[in-house]
Formats: sequence, C-alpha cells, structure tokens
Amino acid sequence: MITDSLLKSNARGSQPKKLLNHYSAWKYLVLVVTLVVMALSALPTWYGEDAAVQISPKAGIALSPTQIVSELVKADILVKRLDSKDQQTLVILNDEGQQTLAKSLLATHAQDPAELTLALSPAAPEWLLGMGFEPIKLGLDLRGGVQFLLDVDITPVYQTQGSSLADALRAFAREQGIRGLSVRQGAEEQLTVVMPEAARAEVRQFMAKQYPLWQVSSNNSQLKLALTEAEKINLRNLTVQQNLQIMRTRIEELGITEALVQRQGESRIRIELPGVQDPAAAKSVIGATATLAFYEVKDSATGAILIKDKTGNPVPVARKPVLTGEHIVDARAGIGEMGTAEVNITLDSEGGRRMTDFSRGHIGKPMATAYSEYSRDANGKAVQSNEIISVATIQSVLPERFRITGAGSYQDAQQLALLLRAGSMTAPVTIVEERTIGPTLGAENIHNGFAALALGLGITLVFMALWYRRLGWVANLALLANMVLLFGLLALIPGAVLTLPGIAGLVLTVGMAVDTNVLIFERIRDKLREGRALAHAVDKGFDSAFSTIFDANFTTMITAVVLYAIGNGPIQGFALTLGLGLLTSMFSGIFASRAIINLVYGKNFSRDVRV
Amino acid sequence: MINMKNATKWRYFSSAVSVILMIVSISVIAVKGLNWGLDFTGGVVSEIRIDSSISAKTLQPVLQQAYGQEVSLIAAGEPGRWVLRYAAPSAGQTMPELPEVLAGMNTQVEVLNTSIVGPQVGQELAEQGGLALLVAMLCILGYLSYRFEWRLASGAVFALVHDVIFVLAFFAATQMEFNLTVLAAVLAILGYSLNDSIIIADRIRELLAAKPKLAVKDINNQAIAATFARTMVTSGTTLMTISALWIMGGGPLEGFSIAMFIGVLTGTFSSISVGTSLPEWLGLSSEHYRVTPVAQTP
Repeated sequence: MITDSLLKSNARGSQPKKLLNHYSAWKYLVLVVTLVVMALSALPTWYGEDAAVQISPKAGIALSPTQIVSELVKADILVKRLDSKDQQTLVILNDEGQQTLAKSLLATHAQDPAELTLALSPAAPEWLLGMGFEPIKLGLDLRGGVQFLLDVDITPVYQTQGSSLADALRAFAREQGIRGLSVRQGAEEQLTVVMPEAARAEVRQFMAKQYPLWQVSSNNSQLKLALTEAEKINLRNLTVQQNLQIMRTRIEELGITEALVQRQGESRIRIELPGVQDPAAAKSVIGATATLAFYEVKDSATGAILIKDKTGNPVPVARKPVLTGEHIVDARAGIGEMGTAEVNITLDSEGGRRMTDFSRGHIGKPMATAYSEYSRDANGKAVQSNEIISVATIQSVLPERFRITGAGSYQDAQQLALLLRAGSMTAPVTIVEERTIGPTLGAENIHNGFAALALGLGITLVFMALWYRRLGWVANLALLANMVLLFGLLALIPGAVLTLPGIAGLVLTVGMAVDTNVLIFERIRDKLREGRALAHAVDKGFDSAFSTIFDANFTTMITAVVLYAIGNGPIQGFALTLGLGLLTSMFSGIFASRAIINLVYGKNFSRDVRV
Repeated sequence: MINMKNATKWRYFSSAVSVILMIVSISVIAVKGLNWGLDFTGGVVSEIRIDSSISAKTLQPVLQQAYGQEVSLIAAGEPGRWVLRYAAPSAGQTMPELPEVLAGMNTQVEVLNTSIVGPQVGQELAEQGGLALLVAMLCILGYLSYRFEWRLASGAVFALVHDVIFVLAFFAATQMEFNLTVLAAVLAILGYSLNDSIIIADRIRELLAAKPKLAVKDINNQAIAATFARTMVTSGTTLMTISALWIMGGGPLEGFSIAMFIGVLTGTFSSISVGTSLPEWLGLSSEHYRVTPVAQTP
C-alpha cells in the first residue's frame, strides 16, 4: 500500500493530467447510455402482457372486426383492442380468465377452429415495442399452465434392430445351406450366434458386407454381435428427434403459440404449455398413437377407399393395406446413385415376404403410403386422421430392404423417413412428470414475489439511507440502478425466464448487492479515521476494496454457474437471477457509485467529514 | 462485554459452541433423516381450495377410500385450502381426478396446482442435486486453494460445512419438507457463507503481511474488528430482505426463506468463530504471507 501511494505521487508528479477522482466524459456516456437502454428494455415488463386470441386467415371467420367485438361483448367478454394486420387478427382481452371462453366462442364462427390460438400480447405502448424491446418471459410457475416430462424408451428400438438381424441371419443360413446355426437375443440388441466352425468366415463376411454398423467379436465357438456405440447413440438421437418432431406437430394443433418442446438429457422431452388449464386435453394429444400403411393405388373409386393427400386431392386405394407400419424396422433419408433424394426402408422378415409377394405382381404400378393418427378429442372419443404422404411407382420386386425415390428434395425425403419411422412408433413414450399450476396460483405467486421484492427493497433503502447518511443515498441510487440493469438484462437475454425462485434470487440480490457499497464505505471510513481528506479516502477506499469484492462475488458466482448448469426449470431461474445480480451489482456498486461520488465528493478535501 | 482483550477467549468459546452444534446437528440428521419432498421421492401433490367448513376428519376417509392409500393432508395458509400428497399410480393405472372424488361433498373444488413426479425422475433429481452440491464444493475448494494459503482456506471450508450441516439439521429436526428450492437455498448458502469468511480472510492476509510481528490471535481479532461493521450491515440487509421474502413470499418460498435465513445467520457466526480459530490452531503464521522483496532488476 505504501508502494502504491508512492507510485501514485510519482505518476502525479510526472503526469499532471492524471486527476484524482475523475472519470472522463466517455465513462459517463457509457454509464448513461447503458442505464437508458436497460431502462427501456425493462419498461415493457412493467406494462405486462394481455391475454389475446389470435385468428389466422385460414380460420375462415366470416365476421368483420366490428362484428367480432360485438359478438364478444354480447357474451360479456370485455375486449381491450382488436388489431388486424395482414389478415391476421389479434383480439386483445381485458381479463385473462376469459381467454378460453373467447376462443371457444369464436370457434363456433370459424370453419377451422384449429387456426385459433391463445396468445399473449405485450401491453406496452407501440413506440417501445417498435424499438424491439419485449417483456420478460415468465416461467410456468408464475403464469400458470401445464408441464410434462416425457421419457422415450429406447430399448424396444434396439430390440427391433436385434430381431431383424436375427431373422436375416437365419434366412442367410437357409440360403447358404448352413446347418446348426442358432441365434439367441439378449436383453437389448445383442445377439449370440452358435454355428459350425466352417461357416464362421462366411457369416463374418456376410456381416461385414451387409451390416457394417455391427460389432462382431468371437468367443469360443460363438459369435457375439452388438451395435457399435456410435450407432446406438445415433439411433437414440434419431428416435428422440423423431418424437420431438411428432410432439411439436401435435402441439401445434393445440393452438398455443408459446408452447415449448425441447429435449432434456439423453432421452427426455420437456413440454411446457403456458395458459393450458386442463391437463387431460393436452395429455390425450401427446399420447396419440400414429401408424403407417402401404396401400395399392386403384384406378377408380369403385371398391376402393378415398384418402386425401397433402394438397387435399383424394387418392383411391385398396381397402386392405399391403403392409402396416409395425413391420418397418428402419427408414433413413439418403442420396441415391443418380444424386436424387431417396428413403431407404428396412422391413422385418414377415413384412419383407409380404412386400416381395405384392410387388412381384404390381411392377410399374403406383403404391401409396398413408399416415394415420389416433387421438382423443375433447369428449374422450378416439378419432382417426388419415393422410397419403407419398405415392411411388414400383420399379422391381422389392426385398426386405428397398428404397423409395421421387419423394422430392432431400429435406422432403428426411421428412418422409421421419414419418415412416414415426409410423412404426417403436419407442413408447411415457409421461414421467406432470405439473399443473392453476392461473390463480400463478397470479398469486407473481403478487407475493413482487410484494416481497418491494418490501425487501424498501427496508434496504431506508436502512442504507439512515446508516450511511450522505453516502447512503449513493448506495441507494446504485441499488436502484442495479434493479433497472437486472430487469433490463432479463428482458434482453434470449431464453431467460423469470420463475418464482428467480424472484427469490432477485430479492436476495437486493440484500447482497449493497455489500459492494458497504465494503467500499467501510474502507472509506477507515481511511477517514486515519486522518485523510474525504477525496483521498474515497480514492483509497475504492482501490483497496476491489480485490475483496471480487473474491467474495466470485465464489457466489461459482455456485450460481453450477446451479445453472446442473439444475433445471425453476432452479435455473434462481441461478440466473443470482448470477446476473452479481454482475450488475459489481457494475452499479463499483462503477456507477464511483461516478456519482466523483461528481459530488471528488473534490471535497475537508478532513472533518463523517460518513 | 466483548473487547479487544477478551476477544480471543470469546472466539474460542464460540468455536467450541460451533463444534458442539455441529456434532449435535450430525446426530440429528442421522437419527431423524430428512423429509424428502415430492421432487426427490416421486408421487402426487395437489393443492386444492374447497368449502372452508369441510374438516380434515371428513376429508381424510373419502380420499383414503378413493385412492386406496394413506393420503397426507396439510392445511395450507387460509381455511379451506389443503395440500394433498400421495403415491403416484403405478404404470398403466389411472387414478380418479380430485373433483370426481370430492363430488359427493357438496362443495366447489378448485385445483390450484398438481404435480406428478415419477419415482425414476425423483431418483435422478436427487442424484443431480447431490452432484451439484459436490461440484460446487470442489470448484470452491479449487478457487480457495489458488487464492489463499491452505490453513486460511481450511477455516473457510470448515465454516461452510458447518453452515450447510446446521441448515440440514434444522430441516431434519423440524421435518419440514426438503425440496428442490431448499436445495437451491443450500447451494446459495455455500456461496454466501464463503463470502463472509473470505472477507475476513482477506483482512487477515493483509494484516499478516503488514504487521508480521503481531501474534496471529491478535491479528485475527483485529481483522474481525475491522470487518465487523461490514459483516453486520451486509448480514443485516440480507437477513432483512430474506425476512421480506419469508413474510410476503407465501407458501412456495417458505422453505427457501427459512433455509436462507438460518444459513446467513450461522454463516455470519461461523465465519467469525471457527473460520478464524481453525487456521490459528493449524499454525497459521505471518511466515506464510511474508512480503518477498521484489527484485530490483527485472
């Protein structure tokens, strides 16, 4: 410390420009700009969000905007505003509780009720939203809604792979006249093959050529076959992605604009449905089962059933499908020899036999692939929906493995492969966690959380003002700036969600943020006691407190980062506000409060001040 | 009164109290165990609002019969508001919905929230929580050993363990529910307790370097005295805001606020008592922080 002050005085001697307690103008500019931007970013949250019903042009509502309003008013639903832009209509309601009611009322006038969606619309004035600022996203515990955690069971997928290979091996043995070959399947895909010594090389060759993704190891007279680890991971990723895709499309039908479907961990899917109050309806949609079938395409509608394709054109197909989806073992998109996109399909042995029999008699004729989904409607009745997803011409006799070309681009082929795999639905999905938060409880949580924040902030402000008197109000300004920064950041960071534990983190930040100022002020008091002038004490106080502040905040930062990385949902919300709070409190406590003190007390050299 | 002369005695006395408390705490945890919340055990928790005239006595048998198991029933906040907890239905089985079960009771049933957690998920969350605690501890140890001499660091770590164990013991003794939010609080306490210890340790280090002649116990006393005002003010404001959370935050944050409150309280206490006494017993001396003269020529 002695060396420090010597250096300073030297520096002052040689460089007269270095001023005590002086921040250059650009620093104030940075401070003011940051605060203004963050304040603007925090403002929309203050206004909150209004419940709304979104009507897309496809819904086919014949009413004019004024008629919509009068219809709603007739049913005692208060409409705040109605925005009509590019044929998209947004009906903004006064009362969130009437959102579902309004939707069902409008649904009676719509041709396609599925095109009506529940939405939230920021209540902030247009000029603010026009600048790109949005309110903070609220977690389910504050907003109300349903949350599911689904577990995708991968074991059956591996099992199917194993049994398909077992079938293929047996068929191979029959063709090659190998006697005494037996295949046993383990718990997952692993196979143990027992065979005569002579046939071993042949089997190995067959494996290397036809099934390169399998690992072959010999053990005495047996061969052990297992999928390579990379392939297992690949299969798992494909399966989970396929389920994610299915869930996304299904949830779109529920009409919730802000629904969240994301992968969690290895084989879990998290679904958050804000605003949904009835988990039963959502559950039946999530739990719908999908199947797939190949049909012979008929020339005329007589003796055939009509299934619509994607564009709505009816395709006449035979009543009985050639093959249904449960025989599909695998389907993957690829690029063929001619550079066109194709879908490679693998069937199990029975499916292969049927397909071979059928295709032998129908070369040159079209075959249709239909996708159907069973789900439960609002009344709990099973509903089936059918759609032709592709029509392809049979070029030759189809074995167990064949490819479909002419599906369009590579993306289209991928989509088809996804649907084909979805049709086989080999990975059962179970709901392992379900949480419902009623809208009243959500509102109550917000109210309680912010009441606690207001009380905590109030007490702290009063205490600091009384305890540190003239420096206290600096700390209070810094604390308020800290809150503005924190709310601004939460609104700005994409993916940041405010949860109830997150609010607890905010309240905790209020108590801990003043620590930075307290450390500095106590150092300043020490220096004053040593008989320094206020301006010098301020300079020394800030300098000597910095390393302590950094150390103290760093350890809390460690726990915040660990919590964010390992925790999930609400806990992540807590970690987020705690961590961000530390950063903003460093900024406001060291930088902003120094800027204020420099202006006000920076040139005060009196020695008999008390702080 | 505590003054500079008898401060060492007070410090040793409070350290002894800390150690005794810790032994008692560990035995409480061992004997009573924690009341693990739904997040860790799996099961169903529902919060409902019904007519306030219906008592637990009439409610219990109806629920028991409907679900075929013991249903735990806790009054929540206002009259007519209940928290129900029971085991999750096994795979393939469905349980009757609450409004159906209570249909015969002649009351409006409002389900405020429902959580269903599968046993597998609970197990995973518990493992994740343990992992988080472990990783946070290791990271902190790593940082401390880099920043401080090991004797000084050991005091902070001991204080830390002391605080966490005390909070856990409180939850074991009162059998309050230990859920994910309380776990988050325990992790936050890890950070907070260290905060206090580090600020005192920083001062000790500074004084050891500045006054190498002084006895370590006096240096410790001086360091505590120098940081005492700060310790009290920061702990005070933090405790005040936590109290605000406790009073206004409502049921979901109650466990969190209580855990934090106790954690901050013991955190302050332990950083002054064991946090400084342990390095002393381990033989901390100014040798470890002697200022090595900087070479004149680079």
